[in-house]
Amino acid sequence: MNILTQGFYSLLCVVGFSVIFNLPKRLIPLASINGMIGWIIYIILQQLGTSFIIPALIGSIFVGLVGEVSAILKKQPATLFIIPGIIPFVPGYGIYYTMFYIINNDFIQAAISGAESIFIAISIACGVVIATSIVRFFRPHIERILIKP
Amino acid sequence: MKELSIKQIISISLETGKVMLQNGAETYRVEDTIEKMISSKHDREVDVFVISTGIIISTEINDEPYTIVERIPSSSIDLETISRANSFSRLFTHEDMSMEDATLILDGIKNPPKFPPLVRYAFSGMAGGFFVLLFQGNFQEFLMAYVASVFTVMLFDKLTKLSLNFFIKNIFGGFTAATLGLLLVLIFGFFGIDSDYNKIIVGPLMTLVPGVSLTNGIRDLISGELIAGNAKIMEALFIAIGLAFGVGMALQIAINIL
Repeated sequence: MNILTQGFYSLLCVVGFSVIFNLPKRLIPLASINGMIGWIIYIILQQLGTSFIIPALIGSIFVGLVGEVSAILKKQPATLFIIPGIIPFVPGYGIYYTMFYIINNDFIQAAISGAESIFIAISIACGVVIATSIVRFFRPHIERILIKP
Repeated sequence: MKELSIKQIISISLETGKVMLQNGAETYRVEDTIEKMISSKHDREVDVFVISTGIIISTEINDEPYTIVERIPSSSIDLETISRANSFSRLFTHEDMSMEDATLILDGIKNPPKFPPLVRYAFSGMAGGFFVLLFQGNFQEFLMAYVASVFTVMLFDKLTKLSLNFFIKNIFGGFTAATLGLLLVLIFGFFGIDSDYNKIIVGPLMTLVPGVSLTNGIRDLISGELIAGNAKIMEALFIAIGLAFGVGMALQIAINIL
């Protein structure tokens, strides 16, 4: 149940960010479903109790995969689907709390949450790159399946 | 139809690349697009070097080296523009086009259709509000984050029109986000509704956080574009520092007053 509501929230969150980034209207549904898939995977992995890196990494791999495949389908650059999709993973809380602890003179906590944010950002980027490489490798096959002559 | 001269081809490609770079495309995609556009009409070797603050194109015209440098001012994210520039570059490489047609299309790309301001603000509220719900916020926290995000994005758009320095702009952005969050918590607190102000500040802050520059920068680094990646990451870092500065000032003031 929790997963369903979280999926719903993430869908609407990504729709909001798509409008902020001025994504073409006809692509918003695909992009937001992409973000929702990524977030649901993130939540499931988080509940399994893995480290803080794995959910963001696997989640963004899925966002990247779905984004690249939709890019082939819609003949658009993949960035259009990936940028709104990865937004829920972006460590906004981490960045905020880093600053918050610095103000409160708690530099050890600040270093912890700062390092966490950096590693989450790196893992998001790695996930997207992994997905792009996978899709590039299988591109002819995907095109054959998706775009029938 | 008159054939395009090579210099015209280069200037059209440069303009397309510039538009893409200014609106949040990855460096390697911009390099790739410019190179493809020029080499589709010009049979000499073309070298393109792109970082987030400039584009350098170098090729040979009539056995003379020809290089052009373009300085890129700071950028925002507009995915509609990237989509259009991408379709234009495809069209350009596959078909012959007159200079007038190309300039006309490029002007269209530079002024893409935008969502009406009210729709944009309503949806930016959704972005910030639902982000709070994703991190276990409750309903009144959602409402407060919604209101704060709407006004933050509104103010940030106004600041962007003033073409302020990006660091100063983000200090203001962070300051507004935090001030609005704190004010709303105070007002709701008056009516006996307690809420966590940290959560409410993060919602509007998320609409300003440089997540895209950061991930694009790291993507560039991983794919071997070391200088371009570093430039992007430094930009993201300084936006984040600016935001933190603004939020910090607001929090510090609040702590001293209350």
